[in-house]
Amino acid sequence: MAAISTGVYFRTYQRELALRHTKAQYVRLALVVVAAIAAPYLLDPYQLSILNTVLIAVVGAVGLNILVGFTGQISLGQGGFLAVGAFTSGLLTMRADLPAPLSIACAVVVTAAAGALFGLPALRLKGLYLAIATLASQEIIVFIARRWSFLREESGAPLSIERLKVGGYEITREYFEFQWYWILLGCAVVAVLAARNLFRTGLGRSFMAVRDQDIAAAAIGVNVTRTKVVAFAVSSGFVGLAGALTAHYSETVTWESFTFEISILYLAMIIVGGLGSVAGAVYGAFFITLLPVFLNEFIGGLGEDVPWLVSRLPAIENAVFGLVIIAFLLIEPRGLDRIWQRMKDYVRFWPFRY
Amino acid sequence: MRHTRTLLAVAAATSLALTACAPGGGGDDAADEDGPIKVGIIADLTGATGDVGTPYAAGEEAYVKWLNENGGIDGREIDATVTDYAYDVPTAERVYKEYVNDGVVAVMGWGTGDSEALKSRVSADELPFMSASYAEPLTDPEEAPYNFVVAPTYSDQARVGLNWIAEDGKSSEVALFHNDSPFGLAPVADAQEWAADLDLNVEPYAMPAGSTNYTGLLSQAKKQGAKYIMIQNVSSPAALVAKDIKAQGLDMQIVCLNWCADELFIDTAGAEAAEGHVLVQPFAPVSAEQPGHDEVNAYLEENGSSLEEEGLHFAQGWYTMHAMAEGIRAAVEEGDLSGAGIKEALETMGAIDTGGVVGAGEIEFSADSHRGSTGTGIYQVEGGEMAPVELGATP
Repeated sequence: MAAISTGVYFRTYQRELALRHTKAQYVRLALVVVAAIAAPYLLDPYQLSILNTVLIAVVGAVGLNILVGFTGQISLGQGGFLAVGAFTSGLLTMRADLPAPLSIACAVVVTAAAGALFGLPALRLKGLYLAIATLASQEIIVFIARRWSFLREESGAPLSIERLKVGGYEITREYFEFQWYWILLGCAVVAVLAARNLFRTGLGRSFMAVRDQDIAAAAIGVNVTRTKVVAFAVSSGFVGLAGALTAHYSETVTWESFTFEISILYLAMIIVGGLGSVAGAVYGAFFITLLPVFLNEFIGGLGEDVPWLVSRLPAIENAVFGLVIIAFLLIEPRGLDRIWQRMKDYVRFWPFRY
Repeated sequence: MRHTRTLLAVAAATSLALTACAPGGGGDDAADEDGPIKVGIIADLTGATGDVGTPYAAGEEAYVKWLNENGGIDGREIDATVTDYAYDVPTAERVYKEYVNDGVVAVMGWGTGDSEALKSRVSADELPFMSASYAEPLTDPEEAPYNFVVAPTYSDQARVGLNWIAEDGKSSEVALFHNDSPFGLAPVADAQEWAADLDLNVEPYAMPAGSTNYTGLLSQAKKQGAKYIMIQNVSSPAALVAKDIKAQGLDMQIVCLNWCADELFIDTAGAEAAEGHVLVQPFAPVSAEQPGHDEVNAYLEENGSSLEEEGLHFAQGWYTMHAMAEGIRAAVEEGDLSGAGIKEALETMGAIDTGGVVGAGEIEFSADSHRGSTGTGIYQVEGGEMAPVELGATP
């Protein structure tokens, strides 16, 4: 815990339960709100499309962090669960003519169920063994998506999804990124708030108890079996939402968007952002999604002078990605969230050390 | 509760107001009267298909340079940006959005997976898209109104290959080794259907990516009784199959389609292992010495290289870009340099001459079909060269 609570005294239980306690926290929140509202007016559509991708990643990363960061159950099956969400929502919209919001909601439920099913090995396995079991779930799901022709158009092309319609309201071509921004921002905010609040409930606390010491958790009355399965279900629900949003936003569903690399990318997001922190998942989603974009811009800018760098851009991206993860694991295993807390503490205590 | 309701009402009102004063969509400065005409190229230089993707992209880029040196289009230069997407669909989506934002008038794509994933976007954005994927669904204007395919489709190539096999008649069992991706799978169902009419049996086998040998797959094909291995993959893995066949002394003949039917296949496998294998290639190889090669060769020789060195995929990229440039030229002449204008120009302008390099020599689109050509050459490797067996073969 950072020094955030020093000198703050609560006079009511309600006040103590509030998500924010200090004025600085409210000021920062206000700044974030202003930035979120101003962003689509300041960014061009391409930059906004990157931000939209980040917002989808936020939903997915928060979901994965619930499982890995808060419950201590490692998962390499993120790509597979994203695919379940995307295909479910896509099929329900295109084949069953369900309105998009309803099919997105169904995708959340179906992915949660799939997550619970593939989470069953977690009752027996831990650590590396569980990682391999979840890797198997990724491979199985993507294998089905590759081979089952029902998940494609009749011509064999990937499933096309019509432009998002909510009631009589349809996304327009001209304002595509702008309108999606508000939808995705809403979903990301709901996901973050839901996760923040989850850890103030008994269920959320049982997740953390299982993470910290499952035998002790069982001793104090936590149903470890149920908790682990529910953690998989809840986490996968978030991931299913991210998958469904990906499907409607990109207007197509192909297994090639949900490969094993995506699972690794999401794991990197929560490691870099900070395991066991909702804010960390958000920072990580921003960082990992923006990293290749900035690298691209940076090397593209150098292009004329060092053409050999441009021709090796994907290799450089991979190398930088690997280096970033190693650097975080070595220097700050608790990620960007911890770095941010330390910065705040430094400012708060200056000129004293503590 | 009342507090929440007020907040919700304020939020709803704000979002309505925000949408009302929203900023506009992507840039459309490409339609400027005399600025350069922007075109985006999505290329695979370092990904799974980089071996053939690199010369193809170089060909596209070289054509643009050549065109600009020769007066451009109506005095306007083409400003082409090449971005390597390393055969990764999400990266292709990002690059595509960047191009749309930059105000390109057309996009040159690469793979089947990414072309199909971008199909809906391309059509919603009304941007003509010419990729190096010859998957059949991309040729149907009803399904993909802005996609154009210059060469015979993978399915057509497989049909031509199967016709040859049926005529050769060593065996009725054909093993179809394919890249394990939408590109590899594209012709499988059509090939099986066509084979049934020819009394042939086609069994598909996915080639695991990054494999260092294919002896396992070959033993499965042997069990099937296949004497023909049709390959829908790029040159490097196909060359490995040829080497394995040679090493094991198997009595099997490879029939390579498009992306492995080239000089790279022969060079990588070695002339001895490649000897006798059949290559279905819609783009005339350098050894075929078509008039269309002269222009490309002259440009390359001026720049210290030759088409012999660069290979047929360079000419393939060159003439695909040529087809798009001709569409742009016709649209400029009509005074409508928009995506819809270029689409209409391509559909109505008639045949585009490629000097015998593409298909049966010309590329022609219509409003009913975006399949630019159906004729393909069949070659057989003889002494390390692609010797023509039949030119302009159609299914």
